[in-house]
Amino acid sequence: MELFKKTLDPVVALVIIAVLDIFMFLTIGAWTVGGGETMMTGLIAQLFLGDELSRIPFWELVFPPDPGYWKIYISLGMLFGALVGAIMSKEFYWRFPRHLSEWVMITVGGLLMGIGIRLAFVCNVSTFFGLTPEMNLGGYLAVSGILAGAWVGSLVYKKVLEG
Amino acid sequence: MSPVGECITAFIFGSVVGLLVQRSRFCNTAALRDAMLFKTYRNTKALLVAMMILTLGFTTFLTFGDGKPLHFDVGLNQVMGLFLFGIGMVLAGACTVSTWVKAGEGNIGAVWALLFTFIGMFLFSLLWSFSYWPPAPGTMSGEPNLAGLQLGYANAATLQEKTGIPAVVFGLVQFAVLLAIYRAIRRKETAAEHAKAPAGQGAGAASAGAVASRND
Repeated sequence: MELFKKTLDPVVALVIIAVLDIFMFLTIGAWTVGGGETMMTGLIAQLFLGDELSRIPFWELVFPPDPGYWKIYISLGMLFGALVGAIMSKEFYWRFPRHLSEWVMITVGGLLMGIGIRLAFVCNVSTFFGLTPEMNLGGYLAVSGILAGAWVGSLVYKKVLEG
Repeated sequence: MSPVGECITAFIFGSVVGLLVQRSRFCNTAALRDAMLFKTYRNTKALLVAMMILTLGFTTFLTFGDGKPLHFDVGLNQVMGLFLFGIGMVLAGACTVSTWVKAGEGNIGAVWALLFTFIGMFLFSLLWSFSYWPPAPGTMSGEPNLAGLQLGYANAATLQEKTGIPAVVFGLVQFAVLLAIYRAIRRKETAAEHAKAPAGQGAGAASAGAVASRND
């Protein structure tokens, strides 16, 4: 199949995703990722801590762990779809970051993403594919934050790459 | 829709997104980073096109009161949170979407990034439990709460309520702004192609370059 031989134009891919996202918006809600990831965090923490977890107010008041939360399944679907795409186009292979500096950057980057998502209540997907197209004030605030952050991040990234 | 139906719909949507993103190499991080660092706009253009379609789609349905928009008060925490997120995604080389997609391709670095996103969220949940800030969405009122640094809640539907102007009109304004940004990027790209094309065969080479860049 042609799809698995050539790289797809990202504009085509995003047009299809946007149309599907509108259907999602009409039935359950626009595409987001951060909420599902938070729920997964809660479920994983519950595995380790059991009922102790409910003594942390966040998991009692804001995100009581619930495996039936639909946003979790968007993320799992993305993992599944990418796996199918990679296997069908023979692009699946294990990749490891080579240098210590990469591991450090990814670790710090991951932590900052997690903290940022929870502080803002939104992730980059809900910013660009949910809030801003709804013309939500939070979308504009989030876009200005992410642009400034990506700029600072790019400066750091460049420094690490060159240094 | 039943909760199970919601989960199945979400899974199918996610699968299509994962497949398309994997095949197109789209990445939200690259859309911002490459534009700032390398002045290339392959992903930025795709992001803008999606936002234009979504703006028209969402605001059209909001006009008739359809759809399920996100409801929560917004405030300075959005700027601060996404600022941290922006730094993080460039350092990790992946956003919330591409961590899942790259993990599906066998990228252990992306799995590591995901793991630490979870850890970051858990750390923040501990911090939140001391401060209860930002206020949880469920406790928000939609009115400005300046003590909590929350500005209230507004979108195209609330603008429609306040002004009586259909939401889609605001959507068209935003569409025009996004289109202007898109066209500015296209102009920049065309100018760069002209500069690269050798003198004499300018027009032909430039149009060939334009085709090549569309196929990249």
